[in-house]
Amino acid sequence: MSKLERRDILKIGALAATGLAFPAIVRAQSKEIVILGLWDQTGAFADVGPLNDRGMRMALEERDMKVLGRPIRYVTRDGATQAGEGARFIVGPWSSGVALAVSEVAKRKKVVHLFSGGTEDISGSRCHRYSFQWAASPYTAAKTVVDNFMKANPKAKRWHLLVADYAFGWSVEKYVKEVGKTHGIEFVGADRHPLGEREFSNYVQKAAANKPDVVAMINFGGDAVAGAREIFNFGLTPKLPLIMSWSSGVEELVQLAPEIRDNLWVGTNFYYTADTPVAKSFVKSYQAKFKLPPGYAPSAAYSMTRMLLAGFDKAKSDDVQAVVKALEGLEMNDIVGPMRVDGATHQTLRPYFFLRCKPKAAMKHELDFADVVATGDAPLPKEYAACKDIGSF
Amino acid sequence: MSLLAGQILNGIATGMLYALMGLGLSLITGILNIPNFAHGALFAVGAYLLVTLVGAIGNFWIGLVVAPLGVALLGLLIEYAGIRRLYAAGHDYQLLFTFGLSLILAEGIILIWGPVGISHLPPAILRGGMDLGFTFYPKYRLFVMVVAGLLVAATWLFLEKTRYGAIMRAGIENKEMVSLLGIDIHRLFTAAFALGAYLAGIAGALTAPIRGLSPGMGVDMLGIAFVVVALGGLGNLLGAIAAGLLIGVAQAVVAAYWTEASTVVIYAVMAAVLLVRPQGLFGIR
Repeated sequence: MSKLERRDILKIGALAATGLAFPAIVRAQSKEIVILGLWDQTGAFADVGPLNDRGMRMALEERDMKVLGRPIRYVTRDGATQAGEGARFIVGPWSSGVALAVSEVAKRKKVVHLFSGGTEDISGSRCHRYSFQWAASPYTAAKTVVDNFMKANPKAKRWHLLVADYAFGWSVEKYVKEVGKTHGIEFVGADRHPLGEREFSNYVQKAAANKPDVVAMINFGGDAVAGAREIFNFGLTPKLPLIMSWSSGVEELVQLAPEIRDNLWVGTNFYYTADTPVAKSFVKSYQAKFKLPPGYAPSAAYSMTRMLLAGFDKAKSDDVQAVVKALEGLEMNDIVGPMRVDGATHQTLRPYFFLRCKPKAAMKHELDFADVVATGDAPLPKEYAACKDIGSF
Repeated sequence: MSLLAGQILNGIATGMLYALMGLGLSLITGILNIPNFAHGALFAVGAYLLVTLVGAIGNFWIGLVVAPLGVALLGLLIEYAGIRRLYAAGHDYQLLFTFGLSLILAEGIILIWGPVGISHLPPAILRGGMDLGFTFYPKYRLFVMVVAGLLVAATWLFLEKTRYGAIMRAGIENKEMVSLLGIDIHRLFTAAFALGAYLAGIAGALTAPIRGLSPGMGVDMLGIAFVVVALGGLGNLLGAIAAGLLIGVAQAVVAAYWTEASTVVIYAVMAAVLLVRPQGLFGIR
């Protein structure tokens, strides 16, 4: 038996990291309309991709997989793999960083691209005619969270920030600080952590040493859950309030024990008790299928797909440029309430939700995580707008 | 200063867990000659078993004892029913087997426990924290530090001071010689795999209240475990302990001053040590 050398282990590790390649997508038949759902199956958002897929499927199935009287072929691929042949309509992926790359490809290949996420560049400095942003602008989110939190906690002026170190975190951080100025907030610390961080004890000790009135996290998914848990373990919450500024809502909250959710304030793009007719019927059928109510990820995929289909309806065509024109200025009353796609930036103008979690004793049932304290839809002010000219086709 | 002291404490606590993982992986890799890609998945299974047991019987302590034994049993089965059949087929097949197994176990966790993560609070007596003078520190982390430290010490004593431990170390050095001396080498392989799995399982169980549970939790840990083995020297048990602590403390101290680098430092330390000592801290090959 040959001995295994250390070098072999290193080689094997590198091999494992490169992952597997997937075959290219089969070309579509002419009658079908191919819609590609680019959902993460690997990497930091591997747990989110399947949820996106659920939401998108439900939006297509409620139309019997048809639009303009023609069958829809729904193809789903991992956000990290090569995709594209044949599909002229792309929804996703979840990661802001990867989505920016997909947006560049959409521009070059002239295909419609719908995205929901925390980077402001898609409807900002890197805007173009083919990509659309469903999530609220990071400014809208920051404004909703900071204004409403300060209204409830006017004395909490010393803020410590924990920020995910990539496009999404930076965008939201910038506006939390801008909006914070108007409230006289002092940012006593702002630590950035790598995406996928699981060891938060080090950050929490630093935060505690700054003696803040509140800790605000600008991170997402597993990072936010791990952070909230450790902030509780170190005894900061529930004495201090904790803010999750851009949360997935249900999927994050359900991972936290009720004790950890005590004095937790949450900003999110969607919460399942949203009082809109579309949300009510979507939540009902989603919950019937999957038990847990939908959080931000499935809801965004659901609503983006409905938006795209509404674009087809309005354009009465599956011509890419006709659909783009139809989406520009499109108004819908969808799951979050009234939404309008700004034709000048491709940013969706829509309400953002701010929640306060309930202490264990106040919960009516185990999914009764929080009350919607407020919604806000303040659009990005002109002086911050980075999308000066969205350009031509 | 108190911040730095607190960070070093954090580093020792996580470092102890890394050492447990690395120790188990080093043992398996050293004796069986297989890089066990399922080691991270076994870590995750340990955590999930603990939470299930605590939910079913309501006692953390029984859960903490039984869950890792369950993982050891799983490890025993994996070696006995799987890897053993592939010794003749060669190295690549065993490697692929453990790699496939890691995917199967991760998907199995999703099937049984669902894709969404779970929180698990420490037992009531270990909740909250205590003031150590220089910092406020969670009781549960102190508990983990002590238990993991005792386990590392016990494993080391077992391997250094007992007859069976001596056989295991001999197995790492020279398998042919050990089998020529009339020792059942297959039983040794099974025992080593089960012991390695036990250590991964208990690391997972201890981690559950700190990091929570998610189906991907093993992947995060697997990379670190391999770093510990490479850094400590293949099959070198003292090296694995030292490397685990070194990485844990390096990660914590760097996070105090330059948070963005807290993950990359793990690999930077490995690269730096391997450049100076290609055989690892204490390794001979």
